[in-house]
Amino acid sequence: MIGRVPRRGVAAYAGVVALVAAVPVVFPVSPYTHNLLTFAFLMIAGSLAWNWMGGFVGQVSFGHATMFGIGGFVAARLILSGALPAPLAWIAAGLVAGVVALGAHPMLRLRGPYFSIATIGVGEASRVIFTYWEGFTGGSSGLSLPIDPILKYQLYWWGLGLAGLVGGASWLLRRSTLGLQLLAIKADVEAAADVGVSATFYQDLIFCLSGAVVGLTGGLYASYFAYIEPSDLFGFDRSIGFVLMAVIGGLGTVFGPILGAVVFVLLRQNLLASYPELYLGLYGGLLIVIILFEPLGLTGLGLRLARRVRRAREGRRS
Amino acid sequence: MARFIDLAFSAILQAGLYATMAYGLGLIYGVLRVVNLAHGGVIMAGAYLGWVLFERWGIDPYLSIPIVLVASFVGGAAMYRLLVRHLPRGAAGGPASLLLLFGVWLVLRYAGYRLFTGDDRTIRTTYSTDAVSLFGSFLAVNRLAVLGIAVLVPVGLHLLLRRTYLGAAIRAVAQNPASCTIVGIDVERIYTITFGLGTALAGLAGLLAATIFSFNPGFGSGELLKSFVVVVLGGLGSIFGMALAALILAVVETFAILVLPSYLTAAVGFVMLVLVLVLRPGGLFGQRVLG
Repeated sequence: MIGRVPRRGVAAYAGVVALVAAVPVVFPVSPYTHNLLTFAFLMIAGSLAWNWMGGFVGQVSFGHATMFGIGGFVAARLILSGALPAPLAWIAAGLVAGVVALGAHPMLRLRGPYFSIATIGVGEASRVIFTYWEGFTGGSSGLSLPIDPILKYQLYWWGLGLAGLVGGASWLLRRSTLGLQLLAIKADVEAAADVGVSATFYQDLIFCLSGAVVGLTGGLYASYFAYIEPSDLFGFDRSIGFVLMAVIGGLGTVFGPILGAVVFVLLRQNLLASYPELYLGLYGGLLIVIILFEPLGLTGLGLRLARRVRRAREGRRS
Repeated sequence: MARFIDLAFSAILQAGLYATMAYGLGLIYGVLRVVNLAHGGVIMAGAYLGWVLFERWGIDPYLSIPIVLVASFVGGAAMYRLLVRHLPRGAAGGPASLLLLFGVWLVLRYAGYRLFTGDDRTIRTTYSTDAVSLFGSFLAVNRLAVLGIAVLVPVGLHLLLRRTYLGAAIRAVAQNPASCTIVGIDVERIYTITFGLGTALAGLAGLLAATIFSFNPGFGSGELLKSFVVVVLGGLGSIFGMALAALILAVVETFAILVLPSYLTAAVGFVMLVLVLVLRPGGLFGQRVLG
């Protein structure tokens, strides 16, 4: 059950996505900007999907890199073997990652910090194991994909399409009965069970979906980067990236992860070259400030500003 | 057989380090029910503090133990007063405290890079490479000292918790903070002291680790994860449980070399962490509050 979906909202959303899709056609942007935007779309899709679990269900995962890496390497292997064209390989990667995510079932009984710690363990163990598994990941030297300039150019729209779909799905999820059930689980597992909301079932479902989307993103990332190595794709920094994007943008909101991913990509791109470590301090500081003062992150800050502006305007009128 | 004895000794020495790293995390969790994700950062900071004291003022790392303890205590108490105290508690506070302290860790790492660059550092004393021979195995003097301290710390903690008024107050707060306010225990003060104590122990662990390993500002993440394994395995807050758990972790890790390719032994601790959480969330020895 999704309830009444406002037509105008859907139209406006489709319009925005279409506008962004038209940008490279209408304005000739530099290849650098083109690629940066592509990367931002991938990160948007990933952080939105992370937010289903971390924000909607309230189970903060520090291990999503596992699904990202599995998706990346499954897609890379399929493309390299020539078995499937790239788009189908990405979808296969997403499916595999979703199935692997179902393996988290026994962990989903754990709540709060216990769950988070277990995900750190899974993430780090998979990094070690997949780096060792040379037959699949190429070991520490990684895998190189054939460089395909046309595909890389087209990835802009593939990435945008993915981000657009996942964004729409997040919005529907938030509005749906399922979204309310997830909120109930987040607020109180036992009370949710009393009214017939099975935490086990819905957490499995959402973790599987979230993992599948992150795996799909990993598949696109493999094509985008054309060179992938397990210590990067399965790295702790990847997992942290999803957490930071969603939390900085606004944990549990629909719009937050999008905003967070854009800020994350821009900051990283502009700071990494000149101040390689500044991002640590910046993200750390942001995290502290957000948790203490504005748990809804940048989205919450925006809402607060909007409310103040509206109040000021009403004050002037009266 | 000689190889077996070598491995056994190295496991015991390793256990000493793991236990020292875990006590602080376990103490804070046991009393405040907060997972201190900044733990790894404090371990790193303790290592650098020891390094600065040694390089600048020539203070021997073992003599700088009290300095590091006091400095980390003050840092931890400040962290509690300024940050952790303002968090929502209970079910809603779980992810918030985790994320906040993770932010603290990132800031600490950044400070480490700014102050000391990313270069690897070591504390090299005149006795750093000394070893004693026992049953044909060579044991590094530094590792033996760490083991000695790892045995002294839980004894000291036990005495503090069981024999002093402060210890009784800490245990009472761990069990039921609401009732403590009725009998006149200043709960916030106890929390501050406990957080300071836990941080001091993490700083100590960092200092001790620095006498054995080289380190850089990224140091501490592996240590944090090992500490998790020990705390969870030992039953979240039980001090002697943690010591035993450290021994189990070290033995399993060390002897895994016999059956696993050496590269994969790095995953053993992580796999244990997940298995223990899933199979025995209360720890191997059942849950006790600060025994």
